[in-house]
Amino acid sequence: MKRLLLTLVCALFTAAALHAASDGEVAARRTALDIAGAFTNDGFKLRDGSWAGNFAPGKPKLLQVNLYAGNQYWFTLGATPPAKKVLITIFDETGKAVESDPFQDTSVAAAGFSPQNSGTFFIKVEIVDGAAADFCLVYSYK
Amino acid sequence: MIWKLRPLAGRLAFVCLCASAAAAVAPLTPEEMSAAARIDGLSIPMPGEFMASLNKLGKLDWTKKFRIPIGTSYTSRPQMALNLGGLIADGYIAIEAEDSQQVKNIGRDVLTLSTALGVSKDVQARGGSIIGFAEHSQWDQLKEELEATQNEVKQSMTEAKDQDLVTLVTVGGWLRGMEVISGHIAAHYTETGGKLLRQPGIINFLNQRLEQLPDKIKDDASVKTVKKKMTDLEKLIAFPLDKAPTADEVKELNKLTADAVKEISKKQK
Repeated sequence: MKRLLLTLVCALFTAAALHAASDGEVAARRTALDIAGAFTNDGFKLRDGSWAGNFAPGKPKLLQVNLYAGNQYWFTLGATPPAKKVLITIFDETGKAVESDPFQDTSVAAAGFSPQNSGTFFIKVEIVDGAAADFCLVYSYK
Repeated sequence: MIWKLRPLAGRLAFVCLCASAAAAVAPLTPEEMSAAARIDGLSIPMPGEFMASLNKLGKLDWTKKFRIPIGTSYTSRPQMALNLGGLIADGYIAIEAEDSQQVKNIGRDVLTLSTALGVSKDVQARGGSIIGFAEHSQWDQLKEELEATQNEVKQSMTEAKDQDLVTLVTVGGWLRGMEVISGHIAAHYTETGGKLLRQPGIINFLNQRLEQLPDKIKDDASVKTVKKKMTDLEKLIAFPLDKAPTADEVKELNKLTADAVKEISKKQK
């Protein structure tokens, strides 16, 4: 518990320092970290970095990442309340959606994934229901 | 019996649901993929992530991956940044090896180079935490602290309008990680291991960043070496998805990365 708290405090502190994040982005990050913290209890390491910004219904955002075969990953998305339901979809380098374990709860979503091959993947974040909001994506691996 | 099978049936239904959901999603267009955000903090994996995947191929003696300590008294700032990245990768190796003394030594070298580069006092405080965690063998916390330190170094550089040095820290760390991992895979070659080295997105991203550096930085001898080696590396790392590199190709990749790391750690005349 102490470790989790330390991680969350460090992540929040670093996040605040990384760029002049808006209040909404900080709130979205806090929401994402609440869920991502649960994965750290299961041995997942939380990346210190995060991807934050704002998105609107019908205007998803896409992030490129590099994942390694053999590792397990959880991508966690937090958004501010105007977004009532958000979604994460993972695509391979050919642009095809891959199967992932979904988790969804109002303005939070997560997707678990274990790639068969190392390489480039794309993480799409979008609002399924609600209005434009701030978001923050973090990821954990083991 | 039915009750025993219920969880299995539930799981199967869940997997089918996921599979059908994935199949129903429209694929991304090439334009969407090329416009995707690429950020240093998440698009580039940390060495620890790469090492975690390697650990799954079998038990490794990480202490054999240590290198002779590099100097910390460089006069060129680009070279300092490249070596700072390499040292952070060394930190991950020492953590994997669970060697407290090595972590402390590397932590001190990271501090020395960070100070020479003029990073903020916050980063120096992080260095103190690394040494503290190492003394108490808190390996998981150390991995988090090391990544946080690297991010703070980069943030401090960005604030000091040294954004170009951020690229070099990333490149230096990636090269050192790749040197160690390709060396291990070359020595214990399997196709599965070889496939781990496939990182087309990263090398392309880093090469684009290197190309965008100002001429003054590109003229630095260490940066010139790195740029040349990184261009050669792209051909070896961006192999097709369904093909593993041969043992000889892995050896060539390892030689290129090892040469690059050696060159950037040499003092310039």
